[in-house]
Amino acid sequence: MTILVVGEIQKGIVREASYELIAFAKKIGGDVKGLIIGSGVGAEAENFAKKGAGHVYVADDAALANYNVDGYARAIKAAVKASGASTVLISNTPSGWDVAARVAAGLDAGFVSDAFNYADGAFVRRVFNGKLDARVVSTAALTVVSVQPGANKPFEGAADGKTERLAVDLGGLSTKFIETKVAGAKGHDLSKAEIIVSGGRGVGAPEKFKEVIQPLADALGGQMGASRPVVDAGWLPHEYQVGSSGQVVTPKLYVACGISGAIQHLVGMKGSNFIIAINKDPDAPIFEVAQLGAVGDLFEIVPKLTAAVKAAKA
Amino acid sequence: MKILVCLKQVPHQDARLDIAGDGAWIKEDGIKFEINSYDAFALEEALRLKDAGVATEVIVASIGPDRVTQALRTALGMGADRAVHAKDAAFDGSDALGIARTLAAVAKGAGADAVFLGLMSDDANASAVGPMIGELLGIPSATGVVKEEKTPTGFRVERELEGGAVEVVELPAACVLAVQTGLNQVRYASLKGIMAAKKKPLDVKTAADLGLAGQVGAGAAKVKIQKIYSPPKSSGAQMLKGSTDEIVAGLVGKIKELGLL
Ligand SMILES: Cc1cc2nc3c(=O)[nH]c(=O)nc-3n(C[C@H](O)[C@H](O)[C@H](O)COP(=O)(O)OP(=O)(O)OC[C@H]3O[C@@H](n4cnc5c(N)ncnc54)[C@H](O)[C@@H]3O)c2cc1C
Ligand SMILES: Nc1ncnc2c1ncn2[C@@H]1O[C@H](COP(=O)(O)O)[C@@H](O)[C@H]1O
Repeated sequence: MTILVVGEIQKGIVREASYELIAFAKKIGGDVKGLIIGSGVGAEAENFAKKGAGHVYVADDAALANYNVDGYARAIKAAVKASGASTVLISNTPSGWDVAARVAAGLDAGFVSDAFNYADGAFVRRVFNGKLDARVVSTAALTVVSVQPGANKPFEGAADGKTERLAVDLGGLSTKFIETKVAGAKGHDLSKAEIIVSGGRGVGAPEKFKEVIQPLADALGGQMGASRPVVDAGWLPHEYQVGSSGQVVTPKLYVACGISGAIQHLVGMKGSNFIIAINKDPDAPIFEVAQLGAVGDLFEIVPKLTAAVKAAKA
Repeated sequence: MKILVCLKQVPHQDARLDIAGDGAWIKEDGIKFEINSYDAFALEEALRLKDAGVATEVIVASIGPDRVTQALRTALGMGADRAVHAKDAAFDGSDALGIARTLAAVAKGAGADAVFLGLMSDDANASAVGPMIGELLGIPSATGVVKEEKTPTGFRVERELEGGAVEVVELPAACVLAVQTGLNQVRYASLKGIMAAKKKPLDVKTAADLGLAGQVGAGAAKVKIQKIYSPPKSSGAQMLKGSTDEIVAGLVGKIKELGLL
């Protein structure tokens, strides 16, 4: 059984998540082969091969210099054919989730999305935004799996690696890459804050951020943050957002109020030194990453906490 | 240009999730449902293109049991022109590919040029159906769309990357756009809209109507959920117990201990 791991080039090098795919492949068990897509990526493909991916196919073309859904799908399909793989692993990153399901549909394969583990013959993934786990099995001859970045330790080891050029027909690509725009300068930079008090959808209304969350942040001498739905609703600007598509923060103290703890939020704050969670749902996944938890109504707890912090400082 | 918008009805975000007897999904009876959060943004984006005179028709489609009618009526009340409800026990147990096959068939039947839908469903969390529809229809797709602009030949979109960066991509008009939340501010259905919606067409289609007999449902699914369960508790947080005052005292004590007070 061959497992094809699709490496991803980020800023010129194979990103860490790609080495996590090798570790994931070893959990499944089988002969690992790799694929690297890009332009001028020969040396990195060699690296990937020697550092665990073994036999690595290289789709190297100027048309693949930037991510392109059509071009990448063609390259992956060609590599599946060349390798005879029965399982394909792709990191569940913005390019990964854009292309993986297309490849699965095109090859009439089974598709498992955002798996974080493989155990006892099943893929394990989150459903309901992290509230429940699911064990998923595939009965297909070919299975495409997108794998959650950060969930498995990157493979560290060596392999008897070599690379092989993969011919891919790249004529008439259906989408056109224009440019990448990086996030603008942040007026509200959370990356250096020592204390962050964040509010989520549970805070319920924009004025409640001013009345309940900001005062606690102020009392502690910290900054205010938020989860994505708060920003989506226009209650706070994007620069307040913590998470995979916002800021990644590592304060000494992170206080999460009315935030459930979806993986995309956790990615942005789990590196905090100490995490306190206040949530009315005792089963909220945020309590899994917090060190200290309070189950209850944030509108009762937070104002009293603010008063107590002020009293302690006075 | 005709746009098909796919709407999934999912358990309300605050609904209590109890596991069903077969262990493979949640108990659906007695809980509230709503339109998948991502899909509401997809619908709004299509309706804006209609308001701007770019789209000629906005068709909404959903696969699911009777309850799904409510989501479709809401969408019609917001301004969609007509609805297709794919309702058939034969769809039960479909995997993402089965769902995508069904929606691709609806898109073809409706003569839709573009398909707008959500990046991800709040229950299955697969982020799979959009790209799959694109592949099945042989048209390009873009996911995580946070900005969309009509060009003379198609669309220019921004796809969200990590850390707030975006990627600008151009696609032809015949394409699939899977949108991210926050793309726009979603409108509410007006009273007038809700009244008008009652007269708008809502067609019900079976798997056979769509030419999909044997290609959807549990029998055709290549992947299957064996079991769902509450994530195993690791060490987790130390939980403070007692009255609000006791909880607050515990929190302040800890913050002091951390040397932050
Ligand atoms: C590609 C992608 C990128 C994403 N990027 C991000 C990101 O950068 N950041 C981010 O945060 N999310 C991101 N998300 C969204 C993420 O999946 C979740 O939807 C989001 O984090 C949920 O936010 P929340 O916890 O505030 O809301 P919910 O999940 O709705 O949780 C609200 C919580 O509030 C609690 N609550 C309600 N009322 C009270 C009360 N009175 N007192 C106490 N508790 C209360 C509830 O019990 C619940 O746990 C992304 C998703 C995708 C697909
Ligand atoms: N049963 C369904 N009916 C209509 N649209 C659906 C259905 N399931 C999924 N979709 C659409 O596909 C998107 C992605 O869902 P998923 O691939 O399950 O994460 C959703 O946001 C919906 O727009």
